[in-house]
Amino acid sequence: MKIQRVVFKKVVCLLLVLVTLGSCSSPSGETTPAPDIAIEEPKPAMHSVEITQMKFFPAELKVKKGDKVVFVNHDLVTHDVTEETKKTWSSSPLATDQTWVLITTENTNYFCSIHPVMKGKIIVE
Amino acid sequence: MIYSNLSGNQIFKNKTMKLNKTFQTVCAGSALLVILFVSPAFSQTNPKLSDAEVASVAVVANQIDISYAEIAKKKSKDTEVLKFAQTMINDHNAVIGQAAVLAKKLGVTPKDNAVSQGLLKDAEKTKKALRSKSGNAFNKAYVDNEVAYHKAVIAAVEGLLIPETDNAELKELLQNVVPALKAHLGHAEMLQKNINK
Repeated sequence: MKIQRVVFKKVVCLLLVLVTLGSCSSPSGETTPAPDIAIEEPKPAMHSVEITQMKFFPAELKVKKGDKVVFVNHDLVTHDVTEETKKTWSSSPLATDQTWVLITTENTNYFCSIHPVMKGKIIVE
Repeated sequence: MIYSNLSGNQIFKNKTMKLNKTFQTVCAGSALLVILFVSPAFSQTNPKLSDAEVASVAVVANQIDISYAEIAKKKSKDTEVLKFAQTMINDHNAVIGQAAVLAKKLGVTPKDNAVSQGLLKDAEKTKKALRSKSGNAFNKAYVDNEVAYHKAVIAAVEGLLIPETDNAELKELLQNVVPALKAHLGHAEMLQKNINK
């Protein structure tokens, strides 16, 4: 009886170990240790596009996905910032010294719909 | 101290006189060129204008383009022409506002004169011609006039006004106006191209 109890306990312990190991394994069967340190996502950067002398400056801006682009109108006249191809988005009219923030998600050609000769481009790298 | 104050006043007076003279020269040049390019009937005259009269001409020149735009808003049904006309109203009003600030700073009150009256008289002829047209003929006449008008003013400001200007503020104002005029010209030429298709 005593020997049977010892064997039973050993079997139970072995099963517990196997169950524990099984819960840590990946679907493919390979174990993946939990990371010790959480990897921080890079914070979105802030960029600025100055509207001055009836131009967007810089006219071409390279950013990372999720970065913010702040448009600032320094001209005497009102401008806006509008997606050029299908006009999928547009800022409200920006009077002198007003700003507008765009969060970048994809490559974009934009223009001022009030003064259509004014054009700019955002490239998401 | 008294000597210093007197010298300071004298310097201020001299600077003010120079500023006023510069303003008068630039605006007189502007008036002349507007007359040469936009109002050929007056091209033989050589106007001598006071600062107050020049300020009047500068304001009238902007108001005339606004008045053309107001006709366009009443007569045109073309969305793009209507948008352009509204932009002319907004932008030229902004320029008038800035010119008014500068005129006030220089102590100039716009005064009606023969040149501004002449510009208005010529503008009435253009407005009459515009009012006599309709449909696409109106759109074409309005846009063609806008192209010619802005070309003339850009040439005047760049070729004469800016080089002639000594006062830094005035030069800066003129330099700031040129890109807007060029954007207007580019916009008008885009419309012109579409209308003539």
